[in-house]
Amino acid sequence: MRRRLDVRRLTQYGVVVVVAVTLNFLLPRLMPGNPLVLIAGVDVGLLSPDERAEIVARVGLDVPLWKQYLRYWGDIFTGDFGYSFRSSRPIVDMIWDRLPWTLLITGLSLIVSAVAGVILGAISAWRRGTKTDLGMLSGMISIESLPSFWLGMLLISIFAVQWGLLPSSHAVTPASGLAGWAHMWDIVSHAILPVVTLSILATPGVYMTMRYSMLETLGEDYIRTARAKGAGERRVLFGHVARNTIAPVVTVLALRIGFAFGGTVIVETVFTYPGLGRLVFEAVSGRDYPVMQAAFLVFTAAVLVANLAADLLYPLIDPRTRTS
Amino acid sequence: MTTMRRFASSKALTLVLMLGLMAAACGGEDTSSEEVSAAQAQAATAQSEAAAAQSEAESAQAEAEAAASALAQAQADLEAAQAAASAAMEGDEASQSALADAQAALEEAEQRAAATAEASEEAVAAAESALAEAEQMLDEAMMEQEAAAGPVTVRAAITGDEATLNPYTYISGFPGWNLLMLQYDSLMQLDAAGIPQPWLADTVSVNADLTEYSFTMVEGVTWHDGQPLTAHDVDFSVDYYINNVEASRFARDLRGVEDLVVTGDYSATFVLGSPKAGFELAALADIPIIPRHVWEGVEVPSEHDFGATNIGTGPYKLVEYVEGQSYRFEANPDYFRGAPAVEELVVIVFADDAGAQAAIRTGEVDVIFERIPPEQIPLLDAQDPLDIALGPEFTTQMINYDASKRPFDDVAVRQAINLAMDRQDIVDTVFLGAATVGSPGWIHPEHRSYNPSMIPVYDPAAANALLDAAGYVDGDGDGVREFDGQPMSFEIITNAPDSLRLRIAELTVEMLAAIGIETSVAAVETGTWEQAVWPEFNVNNGRNYDIAMWGWSAPVQADPLRLPQLVASIPMGGFLNLTGYASAEMDALSAALPVESTEAGRIAILLRMQEIIAEELPFVLLLYPDGAYVYDSSVYSDWEFIAGQGIVSKLSLLPPSARP
Repeated sequence: MRRRLDVRRLTQYGVVVVVAVTLNFLLPRLMPGNPLVLIAGVDVGLLSPDERAEIVARVGLDVPLWKQYLRYWGDIFTGDFGYSFRSSRPIVDMIWDRLPWTLLITGLSLIVSAVAGVILGAISAWRRGTKTDLGMLSGMISIESLPSFWLGMLLISIFAVQWGLLPSSHAVTPASGLAGWAHMWDIVSHAILPVVTLSILATPGVYMTMRYSMLETLGEDYIRTARAKGAGERRVLFGHVARNTIAPVVTVLALRIGFAFGGTVIVETVFTYPGLGRLVFEAVSGRDYPVMQAAFLVFTAAVLVANLAADLLYPLIDPRTRTS
Repeated sequence: MTTMRRFASSKALTLVLMLGLMAAACGGEDTSSEEVSAAQAQAATAQSEAAAAQSEAESAQAEAEAAASALAQAQADLEAAQAAASAAMEGDEASQSALADAQAALEEAEQRAAATAEASEEAVAAAESALAEAEQMLDEAMMEQEAAAGPVTVRAAITGDEATLNPYTYISGFPGWNLLMLQYDSLMQLDAAGIPQPWLADTVSVNADLTEYSFTMVEGVTWHDGQPLTAHDVDFSVDYYINNVEASRFARDLRGVEDLVVTGDYSATFVLGSPKAGFELAALADIPIIPRHVWEGVEVPSEHDFGATNIGTGPYKLVEYVEGQSYRFEANPDYFRGAPAVEELVVIVFADDAGAQAAIRTGEVDVIFERIPPEQIPLLDAQDPLDIALGPEFTTQMINYDASKRPFDDVAVRQAINLAMDRQDIVDTVFLGAATVGSPGWIHPEHRSYNPSMIPVYDPAAANALLDAAGYVDGDGDGVREFDGQPMSFEIITNAPDSLRLRIAELTVEMLAAIGIETSVAAVETGTWEQAVWPEFNVNNGRNYDIAMWGWSAPVQADPLRLPQLVASIPMGGFLNLTGYASAEMDALSAALPVESTEAGRIAILLRMQEIIAEELPFVLLLYPDGAYVYDSSVYSDWEFIAGQGIVSKLSLLPPSARP
């Protein structure tokens, strides 16, 4: 029984991977626009047919689509995605350069937003219907509707331009030659605003899930039973409510880890933060197909791994899902 | 009267106090505390003397008023001097002696004022001039201090990565090519007026039929690695660009070159297959000369690893590149025109304009190597110490229409559209004045080939009359004229990310409505827009639009000999003819232009071509956005604005004596 279930789940993942990879390949090519202008610049109209053919061949666009598709699968298995159209650099190097920065700010913001969301959501639900609850709820709804670029620019104009407390852009001071603790502080000070922006934007999702999940739990019969048998508020909260509430929150967090990568595109662009999100932005604006393919693949992998983790964690957290 | 006296004498006090402050300000880190306290003592003495002068001044009643105004002036002068002095970081003898001189002059003036009431006006004037002298001395002292203040580092913002910045990897025509050329030199170099001048070549001559361009080279120029530059490197560069499998801008510059005959270590002659005017601007001032000893054997230059730095002859060496983030250039102290004024240039990559503008406000960068949008000009200019460098640029904003199909194939329709456009209104409302009204003949009024008889006319009544006369009338009374039984109703396609262009499109809709042509704006993504206007960037693929907002980058206009590319019919070399316009006379002129041997003859052809463009309107040129660059004047302010090109060039970073 268990084995059959695992096989089915693996097949599902396999199908998702194939579909995602195919979309990663097709989407860039379905976008209107032409990478030629990127390579040849304003003089693109002056190219002779031979020069056009040479450029198209150099970037591998001269072969039929299905061959390009097979080549992409080959790239995935060999881990070599070739060179960027734009910068002529090996794409794997570009991804490895950018990945740590994205992991840094998404990781920190996930922790901050998870802690904040869970605590505030719990308080809100515990005091359901009070002014505190309604105030928090409407505050969170407002925050959720903030455009991320706007929030980022607001923070820049306050903390960087007006008060001069924090740098407005980049992950380190460019060409500063800093080392040791000064370098560490440089990284931290540059990460603060992007992390705060991402955390503010991610908190309402966690908060909402926590609040609703907890409200649902509070209405369950076994909570009433626990209270009826004389359990203290503290024991009800931690022994009964919290344990039953946490499962959906973990799922939401796991999914967020996957989607957090995609969420960095705009924030990293506002802060000129050298992560994967900005790489994608640059690649899309420049129709840099191979970079788009490779970066989308990383995003896809993040979502799938996070899903898988949620699938595996769920039975551990919530024994009710172990059977059936 | 008493008030006035008090005012006058308090001014004298303020003056003396400020001299004291100056002394303190001049005493920077390197000044010993004795010097500072000596200056303070001097100030204190001067202060007590001024107090004495005050009681004396009280006796000189009639003259006090005149003294008050004169001293107010002197105070303003001194304030400037004080600001200058406080900008100077280190105290030195010059500023100390300037201070002493100023004090002496002031004392002298005061004594004279006290000695005789009649002479006091003269004395005030003398004091004033003495103060002016002191201010001048302080200025000089400050400049000396600035020169001795250590290396100047300029941090510049750009808004896109430019890869490793060698001739095969740099990305954009601007500012990528400009940054490339900080490391390399070409045989000629544009001067501030945008005209090519000898550079690595010290003489350039051309034969009568424009087929041989000979040059001799400056001797003693070395590459960054110390090897000498010779004509053999030029020979190698030309061969390399022409014969390498990878296409490049420089191979296109060199089209038509049959051979480069090296006639000595420092002289050579380009031999062209057919006459070519303007080879100086199109090729000699564009092509970076690369070192044979480094590039020999490099087969795929875009993917070749050249190691730590690019070897050129230019004023800067690229010493550090972090992909997507920054470049660090170090000055080449042995540069053949003289060591650069800016010792270190850090170029920082931002994701967009907004990021770069925030960074110059916070002081993270000192200059932005991109044009700033019109609405930002007054905002940034208002912030101290930011300044704006303004000048003409040869980029364009224009209306394209498909002139190969109905109704735009009728010159009357094109002329009516031209007459309906209120260019001044667009310049004022969209660009807030930071643009130049477009010449209907295409060429910018500040360009040396401009035809001054090209005057844009805004006359919707005449436009309506023209359309009426040509039979485009509103038969069904819906306010929209008809052609061939269909309403004159079209879509104006534009690229959404360009908000200025979008606003021009919206104004165009209103202006065309006034002459009975109905339009709507379709704002689409840039790739979609390009694909409609210029499918596959090949004019032979036709056009998929009715009306489009369009614009060309500066190089298309900067070199007037490229005009045939825009207006010759497509089979006759109109590579950039996006409207499908064709005219026999224009084709004949286009063919004659590149083989015309004299500058005067070429200008005559260009003037005629502008007349035809203004008459037949292959497109409607609306305006030229002005170039506006923001920089921090407290860090570096010696930016050179090359007409049509802006401030991003080696000229800006070299001392004025080394510029052409």
